[in-house]
Amino acid sequence: MTHIWPIGGGKGGSGKSFLASSLGHLLAKSGKRTLLIDLDLGAANLHTLVGVPYPEKCFSDFIAKKNLTLEDVKLATPCPNLFLISGANDTLDIANLPYEKKLKTLKAINKLDYDYILLDLGAGTSFNTLDFFLASRNGIFITTPEPTSIENVYRLMRAIYFRKIKHYFSAVHFRDLEQKVKQHFDEISFSKPERIITVIKKDFPEKYEQIKKDLDAFCFRLIINQMHKQDNIALGPQICKIVKTHMGMPVEFAGYIAYDEHVHDAVCQRVSFLERYPHTRAANDLRELGKKMSSSSGEQLSLNYL
Amino acid sequence: MDKKFSEMNYYEMLDVPLEATAAQIRAAYNNALQMYQADSLVSYSFFSQEERREILSLLDRAYATLINEHEREKYNAELARSGTLDVSGKSAQVKKEPVNLFDLSRQRDFFAARKTGNADLRKKIEQSQRIQEIISRSVLTGADLKDIRTELGVAVEKINQETKIRMDYLRFIEEDKIERLPAPVFLKGFVKAYLKSLCLEPADELAARYMNSLPGKN
Repeated sequence: MTHIWPIGGGKGGSGKSFLASSLGHLLAKSGKRTLLIDLDLGAANLHTLVGVPYPEKCFSDFIAKKNLTLEDVKLATPCPNLFLISGANDTLDIANLPYEKKLKTLKAINKLDYDYILLDLGAGTSFNTLDFFLASRNGIFITTPEPTSIENVYRLMRAIYFRKIKHYFSAVHFRDLEQKVKQHFDEISFSKPERIITVIKKDFPEKYEQIKKDLDAFCFRLIINQMHKQDNIALGPQICKIVKTHMGMPVEFAGYIAYDEHVHDAVCQRVSFLERYPHTRAANDLRELGKKMSSSSGEQLSLNYL
Repeated sequence: MDKKFSEMNYYEMLDVPLEATAAQIRAAYNNALQMYQADSLVSYSFFSQEERREILSLLDRAYATLINEHEREKYNAELARSGTLDVSGKSAQVKKEPVNLFDLSRQRDFFAARKTGNADLRKKIEQSQRIQEIISRSVLTGADLKDIRTELGVAVEKINQETKIRMDYLRFIEEDKIERLPAPVFLKGFVKAYLKSLCLEPADELAARYMNSLPGKN
């Protein structure tokens, strides 16, 4: 069975690519065939982190050419068992992936045969990011303990929730729902899926049951990166609690990664952080995380809108 | 989302069990404040200003109600009446909860209980032939001590609590694990404290007899 872990975080610079490369490294080291896919379309740089500075094939080739599969564009990395689909030489208009190309990609990802597939997603909440994030039940949110980053991760969570709700409604019905929500609350309520869901609960009870069941089956996880010593140690569990109580979204707190200057050094030297500095605090945290997460990954989701 | 925050009962808002103690409620309230206060990192941008104000006022009310015993009883009765919770069975359990070790009121009971307990122990020692027989022997080993203790029906944990001797040392003494025992100078004190906590007289002499019976001595 292939585990797909999309990694998203809303804000740029929160460590999505770093986490993807590190987890990929750890999983590959433990003997799992692991594939990293750089889906940060238009701002790809994962190849630099895993030591493939000049990738000769890339994701764009797969999008542009009919007869190529994702297998054909994958690259080997210096680390055995770890493979990469790079976005380095993507065409410059790749950021706005058309709908049918996105479906093609999602289908192709589902067909791949690896132990683990990590999707490194872009910042922001574009449809591409949201849909790739929803490609699996085991999405990972990453944030730093700063207001800017937390703000964005909440926004990403809400956007994902919203996208999920939208899957259950046709365009006409959705406009209908929109009207109702605006009646019940005020104009801005539409940015809060937790308010929309109360309306759905009242007016579309059978849809509510479906959405709830679907959402409860998800196993989102939250990682807090760049944790300084003085930061509130209860932050992670509290974020998960607030999201659970007020948004009804099940998010499990996976752990912290300590702030570490060595990460910067390793990135500048363009070598794998875990190999260059294996005995730093951040490396320990990563190993701990990798162990915890690979032992507790749930079943895979079949995409219900394909 | 099963329930809106404003529809939750006070226990759910503070995320405490129905039988929570005042200390638990206070801690839960502090935690909640940490999460919902305006300068909190956790809920930053999560709520609008009105939402936050509403939540904080709800929390305040929940805390003020639950921390006041009288108000809490009234609230529980109200919950029971509206059928949201079955309070009757659970509030009876509150008294069975273990009390804090450092609770002052409990300490008083503890010393009183110890006094009456001591009288009981003395009586038992006088009446038990087996104990009298062990005490009158010229050799006293750890196994004998254990026999006396079990004869008196005293748990080793109780001795540990009263004497503050580490559990493993108590076990080594009772099991006669000579090589694991502490230095003689400590051992003698430990055995004396052990004997005293069991009200065995004369503790000094019995402890000396125990020390003399150690194999290293001969």
